[in-house]
Amino acid sequence: MRRALPILIGAMVLPVMLAPPACAQVKLPKPSHYVEDHANVVNADHERALNGILQELEQKTGAQYIVLTVETTGGVPIAQFSVELAHDQWKLGQKDKDNGMLFVLASADRKYWFTPGYGLEGFLSDQYLGRLGRDVLVPYLKAGQTSRGIYEANLQVVQRIAADAGVTLSGMPDLPRAPPPRGPAWGRRTGLPCCSLLFFLLFFVMLGGRGMGWWFFLPMMFGGFGRHGGYGRSGSYGGGSFGGSFGGFGGSFGGFGGGGGGGFSGGGAGGGW
Amino acid sequence: MKRSGSAGSLIALLVLGILGLVLFLGLALFGWYRSSYNKAVRLEQGVQEAWANVDAQLQRRLNLVPNLVETVKGYAKQEKELFENIARSRERYFQAGNVAGKIEASSQLSGFLSRLLVLREQYPELKANQNFLSLQDQLEGTENRISVARTRYNEAARLLNTYARELFGSWFCKKAGVESKPYFEATEQAQTEVPQVDFSTEPAEPATR
Repeated sequence: MRRALPILIGAMVLPVMLAPPACAQVKLPKPSHYVEDHANVVNADHERALNGILQELEQKTGAQYIVLTVETTGGVPIAQFSVELAHDQWKLGQKDKDNGMLFVLASADRKYWFTPGYGLEGFLSDQYLGRLGRDVLVPYLKAGQTSRGIYEANLQVVQRIAADAGVTLSGMPDLPRAPPPRGPAWGRRTGLPCCSLLFFLLFFVMLGGRGMGWWFFLPMMFGGFGRHGGYGRSGSYGGGSFGGSFGGFGGSFGGFGGGGGGGFSGGGAGGGW
Repeated sequence: MKRSGSAGSLIALLVLGILGLVLFLGLALFGWYRSSYNKAVRLEQGVQEAWANVDAQLQRRLNLVPNLVETVKGYAKQEKELFENIARSRERYFQAGNVAGKIEASSQLSGFLSRLLVLREQYPELKANQNFLSLQDQLEGTENRISVARTRYNEAARLLNTYARELFGSWFCKKAGVESKPYFEATEQAQTEVPQVDFSTEPAEPATR
């Protein structure tokens, strides 16, 4: 009897230990900031500004948006890497809204990927994200301005999420009106969108002037005004409490502690440079 | 009299106790039966849900294919055989009646589609085509969705299949009419096909430079 017991226990425990681990290839600590710059490619100003705007985004819309840079994904395809982090480990986004978003840039692999949660896929389509990457992010990356590229491309996505939720982000800066730098490939590949972009910029400059900021018009473009207020959180977060100071971010990651529980399908877009 | 009375009450107590025990055991047994049976049903439901998701993503890819092929055709007319193969495996997917057939057809299609995307290296004008780029984005996104949905399906299938092979699980699965499900692993082959194609095109580039 005494001998049989360990064997019995062993027989019960062994199958559990032998069971194949469910895709545990990707390991990263939980994010404590919205910008997790493990590869050290985002400069302090951009990081502070992005942290501020992403916090405001979560407070106003509930969307949990993480910007992550790593040196390498360790041989895991970056799309798979992204969804394993976002869905399986960090569970970004609110459970009922699936409004998480993860941007990953692997600096040494020279790869990036945007992954929206289920709830954001409607307006952050693969098409949109792919084009954003090619037309906004990649030219900066090619010009060696990684930090600025990450900053501006992600601000575009943030703006789109805010517009869909029908909220205006007070911390949203005026994006520089100059188009991204033209690499040799940029002009050739995107002649038409570049023209239309310029046209748009001109239009907004004429219409909005400097004071208004052309971001004001974005909600209209994306039909955001129709749903004004229908999406925002209970209102415990006042509107203008953010007036430009992004200072106090002492490790308090609003609402992430429990992991929102949002789901990701694995969609999105990305590429290399 | 007094004695027999206390004996009677003792017997009554005993009978009551046994009855209670039997009732308790019966309830426990029923509870165990119910939860084991339901587990089989629930696991199968999970697999079906996961499959529905895979199927939806595969469908999404199939809807992209005609547009993509049309766009590529404009630049690479001579790749007729590839276009035909794609059309054929697309047909096969629609005709497949069961999960295993669909898995096979779609992993075939994966191989052909990755070959289609690699054509952009041979036809540089393709890379400049906005329509192609957009379709490529959608295809890549969908491919990743498929692989995610596939992983989740396999996970659900693994849970069910494990249960179906367990000592009592197999009996309950039979009772509930639940069968073990095929794994969706075939795409792994298709993925290893891609680098092979890449190897044949990439060394050619530096050689011409």
